[in-house]
Amino acid sequence: MAIINQATKELQVKIVYYGPALGGKTTNLVQVHDHVQTAQGNKGKLVSLATSSDRTLFFDFLPIEAMTIKGFKTKFQLYTVPGQVIYNTTRQLVLRGCDGIVFVADSQYEKMPENVESFQNMLDNLTALKLNLGEIPYVLQYNKRDLPNAAPVEYMEFLLNNREVQVPSFTATAHKCEGVFETLNMITRLLLHKFINQSQSHGAPQPA
Amino acid sequence: MARHNPHDMATLPQLIEEDIKVLNEALHDFLVQTDATTVLVIDKGGFLITHQGESKDFDLTTIGALASGAFMANQTIAGLVNEPSFNSIHQQGENFSIFCCNVDEEVLLVVIFRCHVGVVKYFVATTTKKIADQLEAARKRAPGQGVDLSMLNMADPQEIFRKKI
Repeated sequence: MAIINQATKELQVKIVYYGPALGGKTTNLVQVHDHVQTAQGNKGKLVSLATSSDRTLFFDFLPIEAMTIKGFKTKFQLYTVPGQVIYNTTRQLVLRGCDGIVFVADSQYEKMPENVESFQNMLDNLTALKLNLGEIPYVLQYNKRDLPNAAPVEYMEFLLNNREVQVPSFTATAHKCEGVFETLNMITRLLLHKFINQSQSHGAPQPA
Repeated sequence: MARHNPHDMATLPQLIEEDIKVLNEALHDFLVQTDATTVLVIDKGGFLITHQGESKDFDLTTIGALASGAFMANQTIAGLVNEPSFNSIHQQGENFSIFCCNVDEEVLLVVIFRCHVGVVKYFVATTTKKIADQLEAARKRAPGQGVDLSMLNMADPQEIFRKKI
């Protein structure tokens, strides 16, 4: 749940990158950290709680201040979850309070069962947190498109984007930073759009 | 009292200057009483809400994110050994120690200190009560308001994050 601080004029939102192990979630954050254009001091450090073999153990965390809207500083906090099946409790902890989700799927044919399982696991974890994917903005990213055994996008759409409401999806080669910013900008737009709709339905707040 | 929907984007209380003033006063009093170095109020999702004390040498945004993760992980561990009364964690260090405790369902208090943990534990109860009361007042005041973002041009997808060329 985003934090709106009228006193310090800050809006803070949390975006979680979810998906199967070795799908490229951490790579997305690394690329954003390395390539994002921000004013000096607006990009925080990328913190990785990883094992000795660079597998995410708890989460990766990247805070970025994106822009000022009507005097509000908008701060985004990007998280990844550990993809390995055994770390499910940790994934639930990281999902707590999330405002938007990027599901990073691995495009390799043989990874399709893992993609589907991870997506179902995300639904289960959201349910455990009393959240509903229908109410959380999310986008899909089909990563590793540069690999020869990448499945057709239509097939991945059939597997992962066949819910009642279809969501935006992007092809990506995260290690080359292709598709990374497109994905991040779309989830950000969906999030802010939701805010706009909420503020219109509730009426704008009085200034402090 | 109507319970807020935990999924509504603006559920955590929208904080106005009065709220932050009360929280900061409570934190300031706590620092005076305990001689702690820094005290933070954070959301369990990892957001920093406000702080008092030394901040120049600490990355408080990251401390907030990690402290909430550590607290929630320890709470889960406590649950796994059937311990329901988990309320705080204490990391004892040589230079600085950290104490993190529950304020309410959504919020935590994090104390960075050099002094004895007993002093921190003694005064923390009053401080968390003041913070919880103020957050409850904020929830009752404006449970569903958002921010007017109508100036944002949503038609331009590149406006938000740009890639360095």
